[in-house]
This record gives sequence, C-alpha cells and structure tokens, in this order.
Amino acid sequence: MTASVVDQQLPTEARPPSPNVIELDALKKWFDIGRGLFRGSIPLKAVDGVTLAIARGETLAVVGESGSGKTTLGRTVIRLLEPTDGRLLYDGQDITHQSEKELMWLRRKAQMIPQDPYSSVNPAFPVYRILEEPLVIHKEGDRAQRGEAVMKALQSVKLNPPEFFANKYPHMLSGGQRQRVAIARALMLNPAFILADEPVSMLDASVRISILRLLRQIQHTFGISFLYITHDLATAKHFSDRIGIMYAGRLVEEGPVGGVLGEPLHPYTKALMNAIPDPDPANRLTVRQGLPGEPPSLISPPTGCHFHPRCPIAQAGLCDVKDPEMRELRPNHRVACHLAS
Amino acid sequence: MPLPVLDVKNLVLWYRTRKGPVHAVDDISFALEAGQTIALVGESGSGKTSTANSILRLLPKNVLRYEGKVVFDGQDVMEFDDEEFRKVVRWRGISMVFQGAMNALNPTTRVGSQVAEPLIVHYDIDRREAADQAIEALGKVGLSGDIARRYPHELSGGMKQRVVIAMSLILKPKVVILDEPTSALDVMTQTNIINLLKDLKNAEHLSYIFITHDLGLASELADLVGIVYAGELVEVGPAEGVFVRPKHPYTGKLLASVPRLRSEAAPDFIPGVPPDLTDPPPGCRFHLRCPVSFEKCGWSAPEFIEQVKLLQSSVETKDKVPAIEAMKAKDTQTLLIKPVANGTVAEFAQRLTSFIAQDQETYRFLKSVESVQPKAKVVEVKLHEAMPPPLIGGDWRASCWLLEAGGS
Repeated sequence: MTASVVDQQLPTEARPPSPNVIELDALKKWFDIGRGLFRGSIPLKAVDGVTLAIARGETLAVVGESGSGKTTLGRTVIRLLEPTDGRLLYDGQDITHQSEKELMWLRRKAQMIPQDPYSSVNPAFPVYRILEEPLVIHKEGDRAQRGEAVMKALQSVKLNPPEFFANKYPHMLSGGQRQRVAIARALMLNPAFILADEPVSMLDASVRISILRLLRQIQHTFGISFLYITHDLATAKHFSDRIGIMYAGRLVEEGPVGGVLGEPLHPYTKALMNAIPDPDPANRLTVRQGLPGEPPSLISPPTGCHFHPRCPIAQAGLCDVKDPEMRELRPNHRVACHLAS
Repeated sequence: MPLPVLDVKNLVLWYRTRKGPVHAVDDISFALEAGQTIALVGESGSGKTSTANSILRLLPKNVLRYEGKVVFDGQDVMEFDDEEFRKVVRWRGISMVFQGAMNALNPTTRVGSQVAEPLIVHYDIDRREAADQAIEALGKVGLSGDIARRYPHELSGGMKQRVVIAMSLILKPKVVILDEPTSALDVMTQTNIINLLKDLKNAEHLSYIFITHDLGLASELADLVGIVYAGELVEVGPAEGVFVRPKHPYTGKLLASVPRLRSEAAPDFIPGVPPDLTDPPPGCRFHLRCPVSFEKCGWSAPEFIEQVKLLQSSVETKDKVPAIEAMKAKDTQTLLIKPVANGTVAEFAQRLTSFIAQDQETYRFLKSVESVQPKAKVVEVKLHEAMPPPLIGGDWRASCWLLEAGGS
C-alpha cells in the first residue's frame, strides 16, 4: 500500500508537541486469508477500528482473551504491521503508511519486550553482545561508549554485578534474568515507548511480580510510555495507569484502572472480572457466573455489537443490528455498549 | 474420622541424572477423604507433577528411589505388582487429567472412541455398550452425544478439555488427579471448566488432587491445601486456615505475591529463585529466600560466603561489610575470613561482630553466626548447625522452626 496523499500534506514541524506518544484513530488491521486461485479475498478483522491514545510516561494495559486482536494491535502500533485503515500517530506525526526506510527513527524510539525470554535472544551471543547490537545497528558511539551503555543498562535492570552478567550466555540465565536482559536491550536506544506483549506470562508466579515492578520503575525513572498487552486483568490492575478491554478485534471499554475495574461499564468487562478468582477459601462453596459460548470468529464476526450473542443484557433489534459507538460516560472512561449508562 | 480414600505416607521419588540425584518428591504425606479435594500448589519444578506421577506409578526409566506408602481404599497399593496396579488402581481407582492432555487427543480417531478406550482396555465389553457409556460420560461433562462422532480438530479448547475430563471419569474412579486442567485455556473457558469440576465433585462424590501454581484457582476447589516447595510439602491444612493465616513463611510470601483483583494491596515478590533439586539447600530448603529465617534455619558456609559477596557487589551495601581479602569454607558450618591488612585480626573480628549485630535483622543470613574467633591470620566464623525442620502440627501442619518456638 502506498502512503496516502493526506499524510504527506501534514505539516509535521509546525504542530505543537502532542501530549500523547501514540494515537490511534479508528485503526484497522485486516489480514487477507483468502487462499487458492479462485477464492478471492477473505478478510480476518484482527483489529477492527480501535481508537485510543497513550500519554507520555503512562502505561496502558490492553487486556483480552486469545484471539481478541491484542497482539496484532501491539504489532501494528509499532508498525511491525502496516494498518489497513485508520490513522496511527507517533508524537503527533502520521506514521500510518510510512515506508520502512522512513521509519528508521521509530525503530529507535519504539521498542518491544517479547513474551518468550527463551527464544527472543540470540543463544550464540553473550549478554554483552545482545545488548550492544542495537547500538551497533544504529551506529551509536564508539566501542568504549557502547561498553559503558551496556553496563548501565544491566544495572538499571538489576543484573548486578554487570560485569558478571555481561559475559554470560542466555542458557546460563534463569527465565527471569533472561527477561531482564530483554528489557535491558529494549532500553539501549533510550526509547520513548515500549510495547510489552505478555512480558511475564512465561515466568513463574513469584518472578512475575519482580519483573513487572522493574518495568514500572523503569517507566518512572526514564519517563517511558508502555503498552502492556496481557490476558491477566489482575496484573493489569496493579501495574498500569489505564486499561483497555478488547473483544473480537474491538476495544469495548477503556479508562483509568480505578474507573474500569472499580465501576466496569461493559458487560464483557464485568464477566471477565467475575471470572478471575482471588485466593479465598469461600470460592469453592459457590459457582462462578460464566458466559455461554465462545469468542466469535474474526472472519465473520456477529453483526452489531460483537459481544451480543454472549451478552446477558443484549437487546434484540438493537445490539444485534447496530455497532455500538465508544461513548465517554465517565471522565476519561469510555465504553462501547448501547445499554451502558 | 472416616477412613481416608487416599493416604499418602512418606512418598519419595528421586530421579537419576548426570548432575546427580534429583529430589523431586522428598517425603510427602497427606490424606484425602472421599469427596474431599486437596490442591497441591507450588512453583514450577517444585515437584507437584512428580507427586502425582508417583501416586499413579507413572515413572520414567531413570528412577533412583521410589518408596513410601500409598494407601488407596484401605490397601497399600505400593505393594501391588505392576500388572495388579494397572488393573485395579490406575484409571479404575485413581485417574488423571494430564497437563496439556487436550492437545494430545488422537487427531485421527473420533472423540467417542477415545473416551470409550479405557472401557475396552479394562473390561471385556461390547462395543455398543462402550459407545453408550462414552456418550453418557460426555453428557456428564456437558457435551451432547453427537460430539462423540467428531474429531478433535472440530472442537474448541474448552470442549477438548471436557472430553479429556470425560475420559478420566469413564471408569468411575474415586480419585481424579487434575494437573493444571485449565492452564491452556482462556479465563472465560477456565470458569466454565472449574464450574463443571465443582458440579462433578458433588454429583459423583469425587476426590480431586488439584495441581496448580495459581492460588486463586486452587481456592475454587480446595478443601485442603498443600504447599509444595523444592520437593517437600512445607504446609498442608484446611483451606480456611492456609489461605487466611498461613503458618509457613513461604505460604505467606506466595499468597502475598498474588496480584488480586479485589484488593488494592500491592503484590510482593519472593526474592531469589527456587533451589536446584539436585542439590537442595541444607536445613529448611526455603531459608535462602525466607524473610524471617534465623539461627537454626540452615545456612552453610558456602551460602554464607555467597551472601557476603552479594552484599559486596551491590553499590548500596558494599560499604557496610568490613574489608575482606579472602573467604574460604573450612567445612559446611565453618568459614575462614582473611581481612585486608589494616589493623590486627582481633580488630577485624570486632568490626565483623558489630556488623553482624547491627545488620542481622536486614540480612538474615548473619543470624546464622554462632561464634567469631580471631586466629593468627584469619578470623574463624562458626555457623549454627543446619537441621531440616520437622512438620509441626496435626491436621494443619507446616515445617518451619518458628512454629517450634511458638510463633507463626
């Protein structure tokens, strides 16, 4: 797809700096899964019109079940994927359809912490080289300066003493330590934005919290914005500023953590919260309210509100016909439900 | 008290590896009444699944030690030979839902045949009859009879998990071991499966051994909770007790590490990593990570040296430690410290003693010092003897030296 005319006309220099690092405006990412000569194109609507913004220095958690499109959303935001439609702004600058060449600066500014610390680092490189590589690629500093930066990064992810860890190979490290290396690598180019896609789901419960705390600390120290993608509402509650709930490719609710979890407005958010047990011996004496059915196919999602076939309060003639719009029902707290008030 | 349906006594399972014996299950005991559920909770590699496998005698080839008693329905089934065990105990008495089993269904065989297979293997049964029973079992787990004709790839994750549960119930066992039965499922599906397990437990009067790393999930089913750490059951007791007022510091830390949806309390992490089971730490296996460890808990000289080095390597703490030239373990409980050459050895011993006295509440390993003796060129530090703590208590017991002192 070529860059649209609109993007090129935007006077990027003239605009005042945006308070938001990332802005999405009705962003869509569809995959064409039509196969074979005669099948034509069949769109899989992984992200289907998501509007949101991530402010400087804040963490937005995007929570959803598998197949809700949250990972695709993340990958599109850092332009590992090109949006199908809508607009994507970084620092107020339109990057929706910029070419890979034009995006070199973004590859510095926006980093990613992957899910799997076992496969995301080169097993043949010692930690030192893993961390030095981004600097080499972006032609940063001389050898000595790069060495200094590596040691500093190791210290900021609490791998002490740094000299000790710099010479280790990934297989010599525990899962938590490896994830710290991945975080250090993300920090090497002083990013303004980090995408953390399920950064702790492969780790043991007792290690998770230390990694999430570290991310929070890094955010406060360096003023980095985070997009935290997770299926775990409870960690989202404790380690983010705002929460967006995704269902079948769409954002159904978004707002401050206290608002969304304190007063959930969307029936899906309520169901999701209700599904998560806190340790409490009384739990075994009751039956938890579930949802009927399964999440819909993204190839042929239900008409109207994607959630209506499973929704306990859906109204025939409304929810199954009309797409709900995002409405700001509480300060900074938006919900896409016809019936929420 | 009614006779337990399952009474596991001093179960031990060690594996032989190149690195040495792995103490996967080290003296685990618990009893389960009919209709009761015990949740075995622990971090990965703590020995939960090995415990289950050793109850069902599903052993790999490299077993080094396998002993203890498994009393099922009043009989010590450890005495059974393999054939008798297979015929009477495995699946007919105690069945299991294996972790990830839903992805191990045979893709080329209809689901109904797979559910019926144990019937055909265990009983000389007519195929029609087996098919009817399979459909009945599928009905019990909330699946309609026509599912029996489908292939696994036609089913969703939740449906496949229901099929696996139906397989575990087909021979009407008294005890079902559930190994992370929902860990591959989404939260909404997880809720439905847990609700199903609750219903089945009541309807069939089943006893579950529920293996999970998730304390929240454990509380959905558990009447009893067993906390597994480094191959040992460090605490076991009624859910009302263990979840609310844990006795073992590890249980406390584990509960505090859970991010809760309904509480603002910030989750805390457990420092350090679980120990290597080829070389479990002396004394209490948790002492290295324990926030309240003290004299008896089992610090050894090499561990002590490691901890001092850690303090020396950190910017915040390195000035606290008296300047040391070298450290060496003389034996497991004695170490020799050579001071850097400024002042006499006696003066150094003085500095060391006051450092220990001052900072032992923060750096708990310092509590393990029994004596500091200045010698000719070095200071000899003797540590308290390491003793593994016994399980203290009756129906609700924990292995922690603090309980002996009357604390909790």
